[in-house]
Amino acid sequence: MPSKIKPRLSRGVLDMKFMQRTKVKVDKEDDDEQSRALYSNEINEKMLNSNSNFIIEPSYTICAGLIDGRLSFRGMNPDLELLMEQEMAQKLGKVKPEQPKEVSDQEMAKAYYTNKAPSVASNMSKKFSTKNNLKRKQGGNNQRQQKPQFKRPRDEDDD
Amino acid sequence: MDCSNAIVMPGERITIIEEVAKEKRVILGPGLRRLDDTVVASKAGPLRHKEPGTYWIDNYQRRYVPARGDLVLGIIKGKAGDQYRVDIGSADIASISYLAFEAATKKNRPDLNPGDIIYARVLNASADIEPELVCVNSNGKRGKLGLLADGFFFKCTLNLGRLLLRENCPALAALTRELPYEIAIGVNGRIWVKANSLRETMALSNAILTMEQAGYTEIDKICDSLGDVLQA
Repeated sequence: MPSKIKPRLSRGVLDMKFMQRTKVKVDKEDDDEQSRALYSNEINEKMLNSNSNFIIEPSYTICAGLIDGRLSFRGMNPDLELLMEQEMAQKLGKVKPEQPKEVSDQEMAKAYYTNKAPSVASNMSKKFSTKNNLKRKQGGNNQRQQKPQFKRPRDEDDD
Repeated sequence: MDCSNAIVMPGERITIIEEVAKEKRVILGPGLRRLDDTVVASKAGPLRHKEPGTYWIDNYQRRYVPARGDLVLGIIKGKAGDQYRVDIGSADIASISYLAFEAATKKNRPDLNPGDIIYARVLNASADIEPELVCVNSNGKRGKLGLLADGFFFKCTLNLGRLLLRENCPALAALTRELPYEIAIGVNGRIWVKANSLRETMALSNAILTMEQAGYTEIDKICDSLGDVLQA
């Protein structure tokens, strides 16, 4: 039996200031265990892993798809009719089929890469190149230029 | 929507739904109960079906049972603390907070008095707590909700309210052909109408009440003769 019992921290240790978080954790575990023990004979296998195809919906509005009941016709309440119109437009907008494409996706991709891709690619490669790489690249142009040096002034000026 | 008129009785097992539920999700509306894998009716009336898998019973009833999201007509009964008490025809009186109106603050309260009629949405509905209403949408805008001034108010069965609120119901369009009007229909079986004159308003309410006993199929016939009712 003693092997089954989990080692527990003593009350004195848990009351110490630096053990507060552990204390909360231990308390919660105890509570969970107690509630599990309390309801264990009420919960059966079916409750734990039943998978139901039924959804209960107590509202007629949702079941039958009823509309909003606040309506105005022929200019009786212009504000309300504006609202109704907007809602109708929204509804129709949702139902309306997507506009046909003038340019197909493939054409678009092709055009995009021919126009844009080189510049994008160079931008990205710049991002990933190291300082060394950069220097070498620039060095190719710079080596021909002479390093700026101090030039002795001509003697003529002294005379 | 399926207009099959298969009448079911409380306690009756409904095997059609059980069959469907074996393959796909099924939504059980009011009047249907699930006991493990069997579906049983708890109200009497025609069994309605809507694609893809919604079933409910359209029973005759006058007592409103609040459900979340419903749009209802309520009568202000009084003030209690920072809430109004509102009668929506349910077993319990509903409440609506002062702050559940557009542009309302603690200082700037809405001006509502006992007897006023409001059009509101049910925010909270549970068997154990009183229903809670709200007169704004989630953006804090009034939209179509709020106080209904003037007009004429009457009660009817819940069925009539639902009948009129069906999408593309011919009744309201038929009435429009006769006269301009404004209407608020609550799913709690309460209707408020307003036309240009008292005479027209009364004619309108009478015309609506003639549809009280109509089924989905008879409604077209009635709509054709609505003009006569309005003239009378």
